[in-house]
Amino acid sequence: MEDYDYLFKIVLIGNAGVGKTCLVRRFTQGLFPPGQGATIGVDFMIKTVEIKGQKIKLQIWDTAGQERFRSITQSYYRSANALILTYDITCEDSFRCLPEWLREIEQYANSKVVAVLVGNKIDLAERREVSKQQAEEFAEAQNMHYLETSAKESDNVEKLFLDLACELIREAKQNALVNSEDSSMPGEGKTISYLNCCSFS
Amino acid sequence: MYGVCGCCGALRPRYKRLVDNIFPEDPEDGLVKANMEKLTFYALSAPEKLDRIGAYLSERLSRDVARHKYGYVCIAMEALDQLLMACHCQSINLFVESFLKMVRKLLESDKPNLQILGTNSFVKFANIEEDTPSYHRSYDFFVSRFSEMCHSSFEDPDIRTNIRMAGIKGLQAVVRKTVNDELQANIWDPQHMDKIVPSLLFNLQQEDCKESACSCVSSLPQGSEKEKESPLELTERCFRELLGRAAYGNIKNAITPVLMHLDNHSLWESKSFAVRCFKIIMYSIQTQHAHLVIQQLLGHLDANSKNSATVRAGIVEVLSEAAVIEASGSVGPTVLEVFNTLLKQLRLSVDYELTGSYHACGNIDSAVVKEHEERQLQEAVIKTVGSFANTLPTYQRSEVMLFIMGKIPVPGMHPAIGPASSGFEGSRMIQLMLLKALLQVTTGFQTTNMLTALPTSFLDPLLSFTLMEDMEIRLLVLEILVSVIDRHDNRPKLSSISIISDISVLKLKVDKCSRQDNLFMKKHSHRLYRHIYLACKEENSAQLHFETLYALLGLISMELANEEVVVDLIRLALALQDLALTNEDSLPVYNRCAIHALSAAYLNLICQLTTVPSFCQHVQEVIETRQKRVPFLLPEDIFIENPRVPETLEKLEGEVVFLQTKIAEVLGGSGYNTDRLATPYIPQLTDEDRLAKRKSIGDTISLQVEVDSRNSPEREERCPAEEITFETLKKAIVDSVSTEEQERERRRQVVEKFQTAPFEEIAAHCGARATLLQSKLNQIFEITIRPPPSPSGSVGHGSTQRRSVPVYEMKFPDLCVY
Ligand SMILES: Nc1nc2c(ncn2[C@@H]2O[C@H](COP(=O)(O)OP(=O)(O)O)[C@@H](O)[C@H]2O)c(=O)[nH]1
Ligand SMILES: [Mg+2]
Repeated sequence: MEDYDYLFKIVLIGNAGVGKTCLVRRFTQGLFPPGQGATIGVDFMIKTVEIKGQKIKLQIWDTAGQERFRSITQSYYRSANALILTYDITCEDSFRCLPEWLREIEQYANSKVVAVLVGNKIDLAERREVSKQQAEEFAEAQNMHYLETSAKESDNVEKLFLDLACELIREAKQNALVNSEDSSMPGEGKTISYLNCCSFS
Repeated sequence: MYGVCGCCGALRPRYKRLVDNIFPEDPEDGLVKANMEKLTFYALSAPEKLDRIGAYLSERLSRDVARHKYGYVCIAMEALDQLLMACHCQSINLFVESFLKMVRKLLESDKPNLQILGTNSFVKFANIEEDTPSYHRSYDFFVSRFSEMCHSSFEDPDIRTNIRMAGIKGLQAVVRKTVNDELQANIWDPQHMDKIVPSLLFNLQQEDCKESACSCVSSLPQGSEKEKESPLELTERCFRELLGRAAYGNIKNAITPVLMHLDNHSLWESKSFAVRCFKIIMYSIQTQHAHLVIQQLLGHLDANSKNSATVRAGIVEVLSEAAVIEASGSVGPTVLEVFNTLLKQLRLSVDYELTGSYHACGNIDSAVVKEHEERQLQEAVIKTVGSFANTLPTYQRSEVMLFIMGKIPVPGMHPAIGPASSGFEGSRMIQLMLLKALLQVTTGFQTTNMLTALPTSFLDPLLSFTLMEDMEIRLLVLEILVSVIDRHDNRPKLSSISIISDISVLKLKVDKCSRQDNLFMKKHSHRLYRHIYLACKEENSAQLHFETLYALLGLISMELANEEVVVDLIRLALALQDLALTNEDSLPVYNRCAIHALSAAYLNLICQLTTVPSFCQHVQEVIETRQKRVPFLLPEDIFIENPRVPETLEKLEGEVVFLQTKIAEVLGGSGYNTDRLATPYIPQLTDEDRLAKRKSIGDTISLQVEVDSRNSPEREERCPAEEITFETLKKAIVDSVSTEEQERERRRQVVEKFQTAPFEEIAAHCGARATLLQSKLNQIFEITIRPPPSPSGSVGHGSTQRRSVPVYEMKFPDLCVY
């Protein structure tokens, strides 16, 4: 009776202004929000996608990049299945802050968390400050996937979330094999199905 | 998608038909009441069907959400609510699962109305008691989502407020639901507290949002009598409830996020919000846990030792405010730890100020120490010491006084605990700060037993010379003495020094001196007198010093005086007069006038306290003569902004001087000890530090050598030569009768003293004699160069000195000391 097969919690982190909120909006609502304010604390969006006939519900927690909301945002890392660490390719500063963010992840997130590095705003190629190679090297050193996106032009946004979902399913299946008891994190959706009258088509 | 309607309609079970029937054709019409009753009745009579009803209702609701048919969504939720209420005494476990799934569904929506609808249902659910709650149920999503709603940034401010308020209510509901049942999700876990607490604080901060008060009415469909509550009030209520429910083991998890929030949002610096938070905390928390909060704040202060002074000052301010609340319980079992931390902060701050660096080793660091901020911090710490001290019972307070005293670097008494880097100025600053803190602790301190409250270990360092030389420090010491001695709030009545012709206007409160007080004075009075005497001799004294000395003399007279003490105090006042007259210390004219004025003001006070008319008369006569001839010897003329002080102080004689013989005579008539009265007061200089104060710490060895050499017999021999003046001869004749008895009494005292007095005292006494001897010798050398002093000039040093010192007296202490 659940309306999904898998439920994953994804948390976006990164400096303020790199485009986290825009990425989430683009993915969940299909739009590029004109001039919305900076995120306060946390924001929540949900989107259900279908991959190979399975319904995947993505709970997306978009966090505020500012230091002052750190304590509330950190508390959301813990239960995340995946983290999207975002920087702005036109802002070297946001790239240089990545190690600091990684330290945060190390400290607060689940050790099994899947982390993806995203360089956003590739539509502003002429103002690029961080080369793709530089970022790829960094991601590789950190054992992360890397992807470049444009929330504005909807470049790679869908791919970002769908790839992530696939990866999470893969992990969940692996986990289920290793430890079928573990009901807590990925695959939370597959619970009590005691009612089957007029089931899904 | 769903094959619910249509095809299999005819075959559908009864419960489904009943459910379908509660939905009207047009959602605008709302729940079909009559059919709802039927459904409820059915559910009650066939509770085993409840799960299925719930599941079916939620299925419909999910579908309607997906199809944006919000009217039907509301109806389904209303039905679920009603069923929940009606059937909650039954076993509803599975129904609750469906119910919560629906609430989740609504909360997942990005539509504010659905979020609020879901929240309201959740609140209702939280208020019912389940007979067997489901222990595997997780409230993680609810906490996360409600916390997120608390931070809503929805564009429309009214809707934003409503979402935020719903978030707060939702959090409150989760807490209520889980708090009483440890088997359920532990809401006190950091993973929840770290969301709940900052979310509440964030809304508690939103004071400026005045839009709130009325806006909430509009979109809370289920609004009850609470409608008018502002988000701020709601948040505070919720925060209080949370804290009130915290058990001993949960306090830490609840307070830690508060500290983090205040850190992250830089809210210590501005203080007001932090103070407000902790006021709420202290007032809401169960009393017996209050000290845990204090402990955490102290720990946080320590953790911020290297942070800017404004942050530290903010934490200290919060501590101070928190201390005031829950007066007796707040300090808890570890009183001294509280003071230790505060004093440590004081020392650190002094260090930072002096070295200009947050690193002891002097690394050049980017953070610059701001001196004035450190000063403010120091003031705040001192104030906080006072706040905490005020919460303590008397016995603990004197313990704290001793504790602070023990931290004051007093060379020769306490090991120099001042940091090596800051040297002399460092220890002066520390002395100053700690004395200020001590003063705070003594303010309002009222002990019935001076003897135990002020032991030698307290008085010794306090009255030491090290704390005498610096004028600021000297004043603090006097203030501390005044404050511990004053137990009847007479201090304010003696705040200024003046000649009061009728002291009854002051309405002084005087109690009879207790046995302990008498014992205290027997043991320590001479040190108080000596301290007063020597304080007058210090050149760098200002009006404040004399005023405080006056208060001190007055308070001793009222608090601790028996007949013997009164006699000694009068002798002291007269000795002060002599000090000003003879001027052996070459004091400036201002000081001499001030000492005269002090002596006069005090004699005027004490004579009225004794109520001996002829004593009063003598004092009054002298004062009147002074008013005419030498007004600058009275407080009214010297303790003013620009006192007119003569160039030099001519010989003062006759009616402008208080006469010891006269006073002895008149008081003798009223039963006072004439002999004692007629004996001039000589301070028993204890002082090691008379010299030590001019030397660096730890020079004690060379100091002792000096004392030794000055004790050498050949100098002693020359001593009597100088003493033969008119005045002393006269005195010798007058006193001759009593000399022998006096001598006997004195011996008795000496023996008693060596039997009872602490070692330091004896040692000090020994040194004092040497010092006196030295000053005599100096005088003699001066005599040989200059014309002899006026006859009255040498009155100050009387008979004790003249007598040859019996061998046993000198040897005894020597054996002890060396
Ligand atoms: N050109 C361009 N601008 C973007 C893109 N994504 C975000 N922005 C802009 O960057 C700014 C910050 O975006 P926002 O999503 O609020 O950043 P966040 O603080 O990380 O959530 C906004 O002005 C956006 O319009 C993008 O892909 N391309
Ligand atoms: Mg944002």
